Amino acid sequence: MQYYNFGERSGRYIGRSQKYDIYASSITKITEIPDEFEIKNSGEIYFNYGPSAGGLRESVNFKLLTPGESIRDVVINPEYKQRDIKILGDDVARALLKVERINGFHGASNSIAYILAVEDALNIENSELNKMRIVELELERIRSNIDVIKGLCESAGFAVPEKQLLYLREEVARIISRAFSHRYYFSANGIGSIRGDFSTIKLNGIEKKFRDIYDGLLSSKIFLDRIQENGIVKNEQSTGPAARAAGFKFDARKDSKSLDYGHFIPITETGGDSFSRFVVRAEEIFASISIIDSYNIKNAETGKKKDASGSGEGTARIESPAGDIFYYVNIENGKLMDIQTVSPTYLNLRLFRQALKNNNIFTDFFFVWESFGIWISELEVNFI
Amino acid sequence: MNWFINGVKNRIKTQGLEDYTVEQPSFLQGTSNYECPTNALENGRWIMNKCIFCRECDLTATGKQNTFTVNSEIQDMFKKSLYLYPIDSGTCGACNVEFTTLFSPQYDTNRFKIFMSNTPRHADALVVMGVYTRGMEKILKEAYEAMPAPKVVIGIGACALSGGIIGTSAMEKYDIEVAGCPPTPASIIKAIIKARGVK
Ligand code: SF4
Ligand code: SF4
Repeated sequence: MQYYNFGERSGRYIGRSQKYDIYASSITKITEIPDEFEIKNSGEIYFNYGPSAGGLRESVNFKLLTPGESIRDVVINPEYKQRDIKILGDDVARALLKVERINGFHGASNSIAYILAVEDALNIENSELNKMRIVELELERIRSNIDVIKGLCESAGFAVPEKQLLYLREEVARIISRAFSHRYYFSANGIGSIRGDFSTIKLNGIEKKFRDIYDGLLSSKIFLDRIQENGIVKNEQSTGPAARAAGFKFDARKDSKSLDYGHFIPITETGGDSFSRFVVRAEEIFASISIIDSYNIKNAETGKKKDASGSGEGTARIESPAGDIFYYVNIENGKLMDIQTVSPTYLNLRLFRQALKNNNIFTDFFFVWESFGIWISELEVNFI
Repeated sequence: MNWFINGVKNRIKTQGLEDYTVEQPSFLQGTSNYECPTNALENGRWIMNKCIFCRECDLTATGKQNTFTVNSEIQDMFKKSLYLYPIDSGTCGACNVEFTTLFSPQYDTNRFKIFMSNTPRHADALVVMGVYTRGMEKILKEAYEAMPAPKVVIGIGACALSGGIIGTSAMEKYDIEVAGCPPTPASIIKAIIKARGVK
């Protein structure tokens, strides 16, 4: 375990795994801080939304405390779709088939973080592959950020840019599929190997089309009115684009050693509102395209799967599109004895609640929700 | 920015269902004695609904986006319009994204008179995704009961159909089953068209 140790807190808070609290370079016991909810006053109601309803892509329940128009608090229950995943005792390579399905939309982030943790545990040399892994992650980020901005347009009832972004999201899915033979990177990554043809990745068309849509949205007063100064949250315990939108330079591409991005400067904004999160997501699309272009990788079918029959403990932390993803693995003779994961959803759900409480009204709900790009699937996993 | 004019200027051509195909997932052929992680190979023969298309065995991909089974044809009354209500029983998220891709400009599923409903009360078909989960069991049942009869149940993805690699199936029986992990948008549309008997 090169980059982490068990002990006292060190560095910024990354989030909570199934058994531990995780910091930038340490794994600690959980410190329970109970959530404090607002007391319901007379005349106020809890408005129930979900777990299954139009407008919700995944199953999750919200109870919005309201006197009528404003939202005073929200109780979120993400547990409805909690999946028991039987993975402990699995062969580490086979377990990957389950790991990549923790969050399929961020399949590259989850599989690469897991593989890096396994390689750390078993001292497997991986430097020749890491640039290619970065390309995969940045391509995944482009698709994910397009999806978040599409969600904001949908909330605003802006059907034209929404459909144009849906078109772009599908175009990126096809680029991923051409390069990795799967639209969600399933089975593309192995321990010590990558199945992919990087020479097919061409992003010029995507960049130009996205630039046009982004410029259009930035000059659309109605759109900006809907997202500026709504859902403000600035909190040190934050991650990913939500942290960077509030001025925190938190980014695993800069402060984690699991993957070396060289000299990386995070994109930040200061407002902490849905608009700032939109700008960070959009600007990161261009940044990701230039990272991919600058690497200019032309390989096809890289590396041979490595023997993973050893023993050891390993960790990895990388930047998924929504923030830090952390994996810890404990392997005995090639079998997975323990796995701990932190998904950005853990912190993003807490931030979403704080953002929503901050002077918002019912019509703001979807803008604030979409601006975080939250995936419940990756939080609600129970490893057995 | 006038989005209406922008939309007209930047018109996007909707594609035919055969214009874009992928190898994974597509119909697989051949036999294999590989020790399949989801038991999708029984005596060497392929069981489509269990397959997660992991590419480890000797089966070969045909590129045909017809990884579906129609168990019962859709009633005549749905031939002119079919409203779908998607429900996530316990997904990884990829099936959800493929489902929303049905309404992208490339696929524009509305042209086949297939639409989205925001509530099961106005839906003709329930689209079930993901594995069985304790938390969603009751919600799934309630959604089914809330739909007016006659109703259609469509299962999409290995998780919903067989549990895939993650767990157990979300429901016992489906009228239409679309295999894949996740299934492609084209295979979902083709399955519905086949079940309806008309475009
Ligand atoms: S491709 Fe399908 S049948 Fe072949 S091993 Fe993988 S899951 Fe089993
Ligand atoms: S079938 Fe595959 S893609 Fe669909 S939810 Fe299950 S694991 Fe995800």
